[in-house]
Amino acid sequence: MKLSLYTSAAIIALSSSSAFADGHLAFGAEGGDFSWDSYNTFAESTDLSGQSLTITGAWTGNEKEKVEKVIAYFNAATGADVTYSGSDSFEQDIVVSARSGSAPNLAAFPQPGLAADMASQGLLTPLADGTADWVANNFAAGQSWVDLGTYADKDGADQMYGFFYRVDVKSLVWYSPEAFDEGGYDIPETMEELKVLTDQIVADGGTPWCIGLGSGAATGWPATDWVEDMMLRTNSPEDYDAWVANEMKFDDPKVIAAIEEFGAFARNDAYVDGGSQAVASTDFRDSPAGLFSIPPKCFMHRQASFIPAFFPEGTEMGEDVDFFYFPAYADKDLGKPVLGAGALFAITNPSDAANAFIEFMKLPIAHELWMTQGGFLTAHAGVNLATYADDSSRAQGEILQNATTFRFDASDLMPGEIGAGAFWTGMVDYVTGADAADVAKGIQDRWDAIQ
Amino acid sequence: MDSIAGTKSSLSWAVNISVVLLVVLWLIPTVGLLVSSFRDRDQISATGWWLSPFPVSENYQVKAPADHATPEGGVNTITGNVFGEGSGKVSRFGGKRAAPTEFKAGETAELTRDRTLTVQSDGSYIYTSPAEITRDPSIYFAAASPPDFSLDNYRTIMASDNMDRAFINTLTVTIPATIIPILIAAFAAYALAWMDFKGRGFLIALVVGLLVVPLQLALVPLLTLHNKVGIGQSFLGIWMAHTGFGLPLAIYLLRNYMVGLPRDIIESAKVDGATDFQVFTKIVLPLSFPALASFAIFQFLWTWNDLLVAKVFLPSNSESWVMTVKIADDLLGSKGGDWGILAAAAFISIAVPLIVFFTMQRYLVRGLLAGSVK
Repeated sequence: MKLSLYTSAAIIALSSSSAFADGHLAFGAEGGDFSWDSYNTFAESTDLSGQSLTITGAWTGNEKEKVEKVIAYFNAATGADVTYSGSDSFEQDIVVSARSGSAPNLAAFPQPGLAADMASQGLLTPLADGTADWVANNFAAGQSWVDLGTYADKDGADQMYGFFYRVDVKSLVWYSPEAFDEGGYDIPETMEELKVLTDQIVADGGTPWCIGLGSGAATGWPATDWVEDMMLRTNSPEDYDAWVANEMKFDDPKVIAAIEEFGAFARNDAYVDGGSQAVASTDFRDSPAGLFSIPPKCFMHRQASFIPAFFPEGTEMGEDVDFFYFPAYADKDLGKPVLGAGALFAITNPSDAANAFIEFMKLPIAHELWMTQGGFLTAHAGVNLATYADDSSRAQGEILQNATTFRFDASDLMPGEIGAGAFWTGMVDYVTGADAADVAKGIQDRWDAIQ
Repeated sequence: MDSIAGTKSSLSWAVNISVVLLVVLWLIPTVGLLVSSFRDRDQISATGWWLSPFPVSENYQVKAPADHATPEGGVNTITGNVFGEGSGKVSRFGGKRAAPTEFKAGETAELTRDRTLTVQSDGSYIYTSPAEITRDPSIYFAAASPPDFSLDNYRTIMASDNMDRAFINTLTVTIPATIIPILIAAFAAYALAWMDFKGRGFLIALVVGLLVVPLQLALVPLLTLHNKVGIGQSFLGIWMAHTGFGLPLAIYLLRNYMVGLPRDIIESAKVDGATDFQVFTKIVLPLSFPALASFAIFQFLWTWNDLLVAKVFLPSNSESWVMTVKIADDLLGSKGGDWGILAAAAFISIAVPLIVFFTMQRYLVRGLLAGSVK
């Protein structure tokens, strides 16, 4: 008896060790809905045995685990040895290491503004020739992704530096289907209906919105998303682009009107949980909790696709919480604009392996491997949508691919001084009572000062 | 006037009370952090830590299973208990999310479309509906929940991969980074205090001047230098960096202490034929022990808590993470939302400095005072 136990233990040990060899690949080496063909072709044609590759990024914690599972497939295909390290203060670290000559091979920038800055200082290496054409042809709304990844180099010439890998959709409103059902509320299709619904909830004795702008040193950024969404819903995409480039001044009446559109929600004490004074002090991570309290502290929460990471443990998508598209005005004829943001890979220290990794990123499977783990959207048009982890991610992916207008988060594109500074603090001033025109003028003055 | 030194001020009770008040005030954030470290993220965002020791009446939601419905007397009925297998005491209940505590336990609630719901205080409920029940109906109820503390946060941190490695790395950085500057600074301080040479005053002024240079300025050039001389990002590099950043304060502190030592002792030693080195090792060093110890505590605490220098001068792979980097980049979760982990990690990482501080604090106090009172 004892002997047979030992043998079976040995068999288990043996079989588990052979399983472990495959076990580095979290989703096996075949089957499922993944696009294996292009992966196998890539694996046969690329051999990087003995080469190492270092990548840093802002993905930490469980996002780091997810990206490492993707990287494992690159290692398996090429024999390269990739180390990924995530940093909570990536924006500072990458500048220090690039300037002092100890940069990693690749960096995953959480937004393009910093990558553009570093490109202009000559700290980035352009992607291989033809990447721009490839992205233009293979991404949904491809040319816009090429433009977002193209920056001026040290000599002022435009080059393609950034390859977008993970996209967030920002124009989403989260709600509890149960609370909507019990209140008899319908999903609003237009901005007009959304405003009627907001008033309806107030009339029923509820509080429609949870808005929280707190984010430590970055307090105020959620408000910039609101204003950007409002810009896209009240102005043409061309006006939006002009605003980003500061060809349209920040204190232009159109911009002030968009800020006031946001204020119509955030500065109305009856509309927001805790009153408008609580907006600036509530942390954005704690803000969605109001949807789940009993009785609900609020019914709707406008936030990007990453916010489920901060829902209470055990929250089920589609059951306890769901989302709808932050609607556009029916009478403005601006289509269905979608605001988004995204992370991009750029080469900070060129090597063959770095170029090969960008080639790997072009494969659908590089995207599918994270899609299946959840919390990931992609603009890659060739991916199998069946690999999305759940219906809600799939629906977000469809919003992204069906957008009539896609625009990137303006504050990520503006110079850091504005987009990660004056705009944030200006929004905090605005929700705590300052006048929209004064705030806009203050931001424009800062912009004039840095030009 | 001549009796003042001996009398006790009649207001000493006021002094005592204010001291106690100040200490309590000072401790509040730490106590809050300690309490939070035993709660999970959802609890922390639901109620303040000061409410956590009390049982709170919280509202809950359960679903009555629709497939357990049985027709009884012409109506579909679901019976069950809101606590499932557990137990508790329901104070109030309701059938709507917007009004979860509309009815007292034991009452029968008339809901929309002729549905009724009765919940007893022991949690057993009866839900009836004349029509067929297709979806699981929700039952809302209020029950007092006892205070809930757990060691989960501490477990998560202690059990996470490479935590032991991070602890050893921190010690590997901290101990040499404390000893090296003391060794160098003690020699320098003696020279600046007791050896006569040209330009001594200027050197002292220079050291004092260096105290005000923010170390952030030096990060990029220093790392560039390390890369050029081949040290790169390594433990040797971070020891040198910490040494450099710590030296101005060390020299300044030790020199001020040594200058206050009695001139007679040193001069008589010299008259007896002692060399400077002998004076330093036999007389000045033993006498300066309190100052050395107090600087050691300063430097130890600073290098132990350091995050910035470690991120810049150590490689970024997880094998060379120190505790602070491990906490910030790995444990706090993406976008840093895990407050409970943060609080528990803070207590784990201050444990060693606390021990160091309490065992050596008498030197700290003596070292700080000894220089000022002759």
